[in-house]
Amino acid sequence: MKLVPIPANEYENYRLDLMFNCYKWDPQFLDNNTVARYALVITEEEHKQLKMLTEGLDMETREAEQFLNKNQSLVAPLKLTKQLRGDIGRMKNYDPDKHIRLARYDFHPVSDVEGGWAISEVNSDVPGGFAEASLMPLAAIESINRAQHIQIMEKTEYHIVSFGDVMVEAVKRKVRAGGRIMLVHCTCYSDDRQVMQFLGDRLKAEGYQIIYGAVEHVNFKYNKAYCVLDGNEGELDAIFRFTPLEWFKDIKPKGWQGYFDTETVSCNHPVAIYAQTKRFPFIWNVLEAQGINMSTWRRLLPDTIEAKAAAGREDYIYKPAYGRVGEGISIREALDIKEYEKIMKDVGRHPSRYVAQKKFASTPLKGESGEEFHLCLGSYAIDGAQAGYYARISSTPRIDSNAADIPVLIERAGD
Amino acid sequence: MTAKEIYKIWAPDSAKWVDWVRPVPFMCIGQYSKAYAMPDLALPKVVFLEEPQDKSLLEILLGSAPELDLKETAIIVDLNGEEGVRYGMALTKDGFRPIPIYNGTIEQQGARATTDNQSVGMALERWAKELLKVNLDDNANPAFLLDRGRLNRYKLEDAMYDNSWDVYPQDLPSAHYFLDHGINNILVIGGRKISRDIKKILVAHQKKGLKIYHTNGYERPKKKYIFHKPQWD
Repeated sequence: MKLVPIPANEYENYRLDLMFNCYKWDPQFLDNNTVARYALVITEEEHKQLKMLTEGLDMETREAEQFLNKNQSLVAPLKLTKQLRGDIGRMKNYDPDKHIRLARYDFHPVSDVEGGWAISEVNSDVPGGFAEASLMPLAAIESINRAQHIQIMEKTEYHIVSFGDVMVEAVKRKVRAGGRIMLVHCTCYSDDRQVMQFLGDRLKAEGYQIIYGAVEHVNFKYNKAYCVLDGNEGELDAIFRFTPLEWFKDIKPKGWQGYFDTETVSCNHPVAIYAQTKRFPFIWNVLEAQGINMSTWRRLLPDTIEAKAAAGREDYIYKPAYGRVGEGISIREALDIKEYEKIMKDVGRHPSRYVAQKKFASTPLKGESGEEFHLCLGSYAIDGAQAGYYARISSTPRIDSNAADIPVLIERAGD
Repeated sequence: MTAKEIYKIWAPDSAKWVDWVRPVPFMCIGQYSKAYAMPDLALPKVVFLEEPQDKSLLEILLGSAPELDLKETAIIVDLNGEEGVRYGMALTKDGFRPIPIYNGTIEQQGARATTDNQSVGMALERWAKELLKVNLDDNANPAFLLDRGRLNRYKLEDAMYDNSWDVYPQDLPSAHYFLDHGINNILVIGGRKISRDIKKILVAHQKKGLKIYHTNGYERPKKKYIFHKPQWD
């Protein structure tokens, strides 16, 4: 695994290309450029290993959630919110074959775990980064090839796994041709829209009718989803949701419980919530006692304990149970003192909203001039099959919104 | 001109502050679902009876003894729709570079929307040709352009499409960046009061030592002190 620079004379065009052709609408965050000047190149061997681990993790996750869904009396250790506890009862009709299950597992290269990889979490409910995992690597290959005067794509030394291609095939398997698909997201956020727009354009090109709307634009009748957005009313063939489930309680859309027992194809179905909480490891003993294998998870996820149990332990960090994009994680060396103290204060006040996780030693990658970057390599699974990569790098061990997106290329094996 | 070419006019490679130009309204160029009349290409003027008419917008606004040193000032223009773009263009005469940070998306076709994000894109497209004619210094101070209409999120009914939006701290440079680049004052132009989302950002900048000024666009700017940070919704 190595960092390969985007040729300096190509970089500005590459960044512009990402904005205008690859749905990268947020290239700047505060004072930081969020487009890395490198591509991450992994070997075919590393890809095979990550694919195997991703599919292993995903199999365990799906088995676990299906078991928990049928045995909801056992989910107490997850401490789901009161609202969610009331609604999961509606999910008993969940049939995994009818829906599309998408998850992203965040890997980190480490020196202190056998195999060299640890995972920090699964983005089980609404993972993003679709265009970055589909078009960004192609733009990077083009830039590198142009600098090397390589004109034929097949002759390049890299290949990719395109998230978009895998997702389209999954949709085709479960949604009727020409069907109406609603892309449900927070319509006030352009960063949500860029993810949805990529998917929408990709599916539109396959002949699907695409509707962009918010959670309140879907109503349910007899377990079927209907669009109630102005001028777009009617039955839906699929819902692709990008609004996190735990936000529903704040948005309070009418009839939102319908999402939980709908038979309309959903990606993701709310069943994803069991693994979304960082408290998921607290139920593994229960699962294993029922014969469900969690060995890949055990091997890759650092020890995770209740926040209270980690008091005074410097080798543990705190993470919000429903945290996203690395926010609210207490990595002392990656934060300014004020932010660190703010998190610690909140942990003290609301320990049950956090978990404590053993720190891992992230192995930084080296750039051209020896500068070091920490890596978070997200590996998607769609219905159990590995479906591409979304990666970010940062000069600090905490990979959050300040990190830069980096395309993932797979080096072709030599003849 | 393509959307990319129009974007590059607003964000030329060699200029300072252009990293903050948001690509979002440019992405929507050519995808408008509404018909618009040609935008008004006249620059706005501030007219005080006692001032001569040949002065620039800021010269008139600030008066003969400006409290603000414009060399140390960044501007946030917070005016409705295309008026913000026109105002930004007028500020080029005072040597400021307009930096559009509009971030609202266009609505699903067929749906009524809470916010008109289409007219801003249209104005950026039409004004690009005029901006090309302006010879701005690469180090010109920034005038960040916002649409005050972004905060229109009242929905008559659920069936409407809510494409209102807020500006967030990550959409602007940090206080450190401003200070490191010689900016000690931020002048907000527009509205009777500073918008709530802008206040949330500027309260942190104020804490770090930046001075905040505000004008409704017709009266002399006044120094403001933001007492507390409003909560995010």
